[in-house]
Amino acid sequence: MASIQIRTEVTGSVWKIEAQAGQKLAAGATIMILESMKMEIPVIAEDGGTLVALHVAEGESVDEGQVVATLTE
Amino acid sequence: MSAEPSDAGSWQPEVDELAFRRAQADALGGPAAVAKHHAQGRLTIRERIAAMADAGSFQEVGRLTGQGRYDAEGKLLGVTPAPYVMGLAKIDGRPVAIGGEDFTVRGGTSWSGDRKKGGQGGFVEDLAHQYRIPLVNLIDGSGGSVTSINRRGHSVFPGVHGFERSVQLMGEVPVVCAVLGTAAGGPAGRAILSHWSVMVKDTSHVFAAGPPVVERSLRQKITKEELGGLGVAVALAGTIDNAAASEAQCFEMVRRYLSYMPQNVWRLPPVVDTGDPADRAEQALLSIVPRNRRKAYDMRRVIQLIADRGSVFELQPAFGKALITCLARMNGKVVGFVANNPMVYGGAMDGRAARKQAHFVELCDCFHIPLAFLVDVPGFMVGRDAEAAGTLREGMRSVFVGLQASVPMFTVVIRKCYGMAGMGATDKNGLDLKLAWPSAEWGSLPIEGGVAAAFRREIQASPDPAAREAQIEEELRAMASPFRTAEAFGVEEIIDPRETRAYLCRFIDAAQERLATSVGPKPKYGVRP
Repeated sequence: MASIQIRTEVTGSVWKIEAQAGQKLAAGATIMILESMKMEIPVIAEDGGTLVALHVAEGESVDEGQVVATLTE
Repeated sequence: MSAEPSDAGSWQPEVDELAFRRAQADALGGPAAVAKHHAQGRLTIRERIAAMADAGSFQEVGRLTGQGRYDAEGKLLGVTPAPYVMGLAKIDGRPVAIGGEDFTVRGGTSWSGDRKKGGQGGFVEDLAHQYRIPLVNLIDGSGGSVTSINRRGHSVFPGVHGFERSVQLMGEVPVVCAVLGTAAGGPAGRAILSHWSVMVKDTSHVFAAGPPVVERSLRQKITKEELGGLGVAVALAGTIDNAAASEAQCFEMVRRYLSYMPQNVWRLPPVVDTGDPADRAEQALLSIVPRNRRKAYDMRRVIQLIADRGSVFELQPAFGKALITCLARMNGKVVGFVANNPMVYGGAMDGRAARKQAHFVELCDCFHIPLAFLVDVPGFMVGRDAEAAGTLREGMRSVFVGLQASVPMFTVVIRKCYGMAGMGATDKNGLDLKLAWPSAEWGSLPIEGGVAAAFRREIQASPDPAAREAQIEEELRAMASPFRTAEAFGVEEIIDPRETRAYLCRFIDAAQERLATSVGPKPKYGVRP
């Protein structure tokens, strides 16, 4: 099973985590919501999969390109 | 009367030699080299041209070039072909100049005949220039080699085979470069001197110099993929515009790109009947923008719903993601869409997005493709990283390029339109037609950042500063309704989002007269900031 690393497209902070480790996610499901430039930016599981790990917590700052979650297909 | 021998006066022996020489050319670098090339998942240059061009349309030029090998009596033993194949072909019925390096002969390195075939300048570029037809470069070469010093007895000055013609073509005909192997040095530079470039996943790499040179210069051990694979060249650097999953998909993309282009700058792009009614109104547009201003939405979907069905082709999708640039059709006419992407930095223009916008606006201006801006931009990107990345300079450069462009532009404000980045999405030197959705808002800067600064004393003097700040924000927001600006004709029209397609189609149809009477090269003057 290939693991997929989910990276952020923006610098900002983690506003809300919407999925839990172990959860099966449908394609396009929201993993977490970041706050950047006063906007809520969803981080999604584009192709879906099982969420193996979350690498950030709510309130934490993230940089563009940072790995915030790992999925398996 | 005696019968003459049937071949008397005939040139059959020479024609036989011609056939032999042609067969030598068709064999490229020989069966072993071709097998090795195929084993790496790559097509030969002849297979590439056959796949790219309309069936049977390729007319080769310079098929006999190469290095002949002769015996002591001067009898021809064989010919090692020049590592470049080119000529005239058709793509979707329209003539193009097409050529590419043959990697199976000396890795596609340069070759010195009396006249250059292609690569940098050469016959194929002269053909595109003289006949005013697009140039398609199928790049698979690593440029110069130090071994040429041995061959010539001296080292060549940089630019002896220069980019003069390549640069000239950028203002005359569409130039497309497909990187289909490892392009380093000259061929890598050649790939950039194009209106659009594409490379293939896993088998293509682009860099100024490859891993051995990097290790020698910087003591860095790095793989080809890490140095110039898709992740760097397409996503991080934007050196190459698009990525293809395979060579076959790459050729399909080249064909698609050229379908939006005129043959040259003296012509308009082809109009096709897309069968999509110009007055099609999409219900989904009414609710696609969330009422909650903090929530983002899918701007790509907005473009898909407005443009002719199936006509959208996105350029540079992986680079500068705060902005989306697409070629598409509206009522059959080619249009360039420039849209801010609220999913990335709320659509704020960073240095990469600005670079992408400047290039795309210049491209559309050059080939007489009107522009439609779908605006949702809070302004230039802020913060130390953005300042250090030169956002202001890149941003103002994109504003400058927009003001120099003379192609008709249309502005549709979807949500936010603020500051200099917002101004850069308008046609200040043209008709300056600005349409707005009811969700639109605009100003020099967004109210929520601006109130704290502009009303600092009043807020501080209040017994409840936070409540006072919120109250001022609310008062100002009421006056910021787009309908009030429409009353003042500060925006030309507020439209129901579902009317966007019909409204734009009418104006794009009407702009055809202006476009048809403004063809030709677009000389540029002045200094870009």
